[in-house]
Amino acid sequence: MSDAGSPLLEVRGLVKDYPGVRALDGVDLTVTSGQVHCLIGQNGAGKSTLIKCVSGLVEPTAGEVLFEGAPLPVGDPNASIARGIATIYQELDLVPHLSVAQNVFLGHEHKRGPLLNRAAMHRETEALFARLGNEGISPAASVTTLRPAQQQVVSMARALSHSVKLLILDEPSAVLDDVEVDALFGVVRRLTAEGVGVIWISHRLGEVAELGDVVTVLKEGRTVATELPPDTPVDTLIRHMVGGRMEALFPDRGQFRETTVLEVRGLTRTPDVYDASFTLREGEILGLAGLVGSGRTELLRLTYGLDQPQSGEVEVGGRRLPPGRPDLAIRAGLGFAPEERKSEGLWLDWSMIRNTSIADLSRFRRGPFTDRASERREATRHLQSLNTQPDAPQRPARLFSGGNQQKAVLARWLLRSCRVLLLDEPTRGVDVGARSEIYRVIAELAANGIGVVMVSSELAELLGFCHRLLVMREGHIVDEFDGATSTEEDVLRSAVPVHHIAKAG
Amino acid sequence: MAVDTTPTVDVRARLRQVPVQELVLPVVIIALVIVGVIIRPGVFLTSDNLLNVLTQVSITGIIAIGMTFVIATGGIDLSVGSVLAAAGIAGGLLLPYGSWMFMLGAVGFALLLGSINGLAITWGKVVPFIATLAMLIIARGLALWMSEKTPISLIELDILQWFGSGRVLGIPVPAIVFVVVTVAGWVLLNRTTFGRRAIAVGGNRSAARIAGIRPGRVIFTVYVLTGLCVGISAILLSGRLASASPVVGNLVELDAIAAVVIGGTALTGGKATVTGTFFGVITFGLIFNLLNLLNMPTEIQGIVKGILILIAVALQRRD
Repeated sequence: MSDAGSPLLEVRGLVKDYPGVRALDGVDLTVTSGQVHCLIGQNGAGKSTLIKCVSGLVEPTAGEVLFEGAPLPVGDPNASIARGIATIYQELDLVPHLSVAQNVFLGHEHKRGPLLNRAAMHRETEALFARLGNEGISPAASVTTLRPAQQQVVSMARALSHSVKLLILDEPSAVLDDVEVDALFGVVRRLTAEGVGVIWISHRLGEVAELGDVVTVLKEGRTVATELPPDTPVDTLIRHMVGGRMEALFPDRGQFRETTVLEVRGLTRTPDVYDASFTLREGEILGLAGLVGSGRTELLRLTYGLDQPQSGEVEVGGRRLPPGRPDLAIRAGLGFAPEERKSEGLWLDWSMIRNTSIADLSRFRRGPFTDRASERREATRHLQSLNTQPDAPQRPARLFSGGNQQKAVLARWLLRSCRVLLLDEPTRGVDVGARSEIYRVIAELAANGIGVVMVSSELAELLGFCHRLLVMREGHIVDEFDGATSTEEDVLRSAVPVHHIAKAG
Repeated sequence: MAVDTTPTVDVRARLRQVPVQELVLPVVIIALVIVGVIIRPGVFLTSDNLLNVLTQVSITGIIAIGMTFVIATGGIDLSVGSVLAAAGIAGGLLLPYGSWMFMLGAVGFALLLGSINGLAITWGKVVPFIATLAMLIIARGLALWMSEKTPISLIELDILQWFGSGRVLGIPVPAIVFVVVTVAGWVLLNRTTFGRRAIAVGGNRSAARIAGIRPGRVIFTVYVLTGLCVGISAILLSGRLASASPVVGNLVELDAIAAVVIGGTALTGGKATVTGTFFGVITFGLIFNLLNLLNMPTEIQGIVKGILILIAVALQRRD
């Protein structure tokens, strides 16, 4: 508290080389106690590498990191934690099946003699939740039963169970809906009031103005702008990030046709989805809005046949799909890009080519063998048509940014020539520049007659280029809006459950 | 200057791309050969001795090729040793009908037991370790029960014995069969959609399902495939011994798994190499052969083999 305003973390001339790639090329950054320092930049700009250097997970090639004026040992995560640096990564790293309290104290459990002191840990966990303004979570609950937002709070409690001076949050809002993001803002403000310095990494530029005290922009491993005030216009921020003129973010809505390509009737799987029905026409982009946990993802999974519905049916092009058979759904023309891109969409160690061809391997069969030359040719063609960068389809998917990984998933369904694409949060973890490209790609696919159902937590995105929006709330489709004429307020009002409004009012 | 430095950088970058892990075994094999030449010149490096090595490892080797596919999907098959014995006995029960019926019976029975493994794992949702552990016990019981605990003499089956100890152009038939199975396994893994799908299922099952692969089918198939390999091995083994014994094949599963693992196939699934398995099998064969030539007691072989497994796998896990 006393030294609020003093430099907490100073990063000078940080360089990190990976084989063949320079991830950081001289980054400077100064973070002050009691401030929220927003770090923005496109995917691949070096944000993640930078924070990994600070948290000790990665050893920088050159440059220095000072914490409270003294050099931080490099490549030693325990040293960073001991000095008071806590990092919450994009992918939550809680241990499933363990309780909340066990997760919070993982690795530094309280003991009484040789035995665990459960009572003390539960008590302290509760105290931490109180500090975070989230008293509702039980320390004894299994983390798998918690919603993503609550899991995030558990991660933060874990960070705070050490004495924290600097908290690094890597895209904390990516998994949260708007209401939950607000709650998270509250938590962060409490911490900064206590004198904790915060590095906030986000793709949502709107958050910068709302929460940030100071903004730093990274581009291609360099600091291109720092100490920007939070009220810097979004256009200016994007210009820094893109390093040039900003493209129109959303493409125009194309005309869709009258032919129905997908019809969903009365799909039910309790407690996630109740009696969901909708139709999709060729070339139509249909948005599925709703809070996280409202059943949007589950509805997509039911439609695709990944889960068994209790009742209801799905028709593609007039033919009924047998339930629980994604392979037959694909044959009928469906394609699915899951929300968990890394864990459900891709083989990270595989080349982009293999990731692209996997859904249509039979096509490359020549007699008993795979024709690898034509596989490579076809996959590369589709990857290139989506402008996947870098243009190195032999490289493993792991080395590509989130946006380009998403393109590999889309290329897969292009190669399969699907008729309907189900997209679950297609731009999650994708930076602004790549986002407008993903939008363009989706719009082009629709213009070619593919029907698209798209789940997103970002209303601006849904309203930006969907023809039509369905709103889900607590498992039901409750409303329908015209994409071109509705406002975020309209949709949000319909998406938020009544008791939330009551609580707010 | 720039002209001078660019090639150096190129060479370094290229060197860095050389997969060190995949070089471990070839280096070990070359080292073993050099040691062999030094300690037993004129004996070790003869075609007779090397073919002898290949013949000795063929039975475990063929099973290890099948095991590579099982492990590629993230599974394990502990039952292969017992199934090897049971398949031989099943064939032996068809003794009066001749060699070809023996072979049909042995392969058929191994396929049947492999399918039961596959069904238990996919349809019964029993984890592979437990399902095949149960089969290990069941198949050994079957072998003992069907044979009434006595070996069956196959001395009349000439064709069968040719498979076990015959030669073509001076090369032992089991060695030829092992090489053919290895090549077939390599093609299946690397050049067919089935191989790609097996690795896909092992690497990321939920992504595989979303991409339209039916993991259950692929997994069922790899256990049947291993059954086929065990059946072929049962033919070679019974032919060599000229008898079918209910007690053969003990611990073959562990030798096969060890060969697959030191070959570089990941036990977690999703990464597999038939070439590596082949080299792994050869490595064990060479060690066995060298220690034999030196008249070392068999206990020593176990110790050397175990240490080698540790070192090879530790080296491969390095980046």
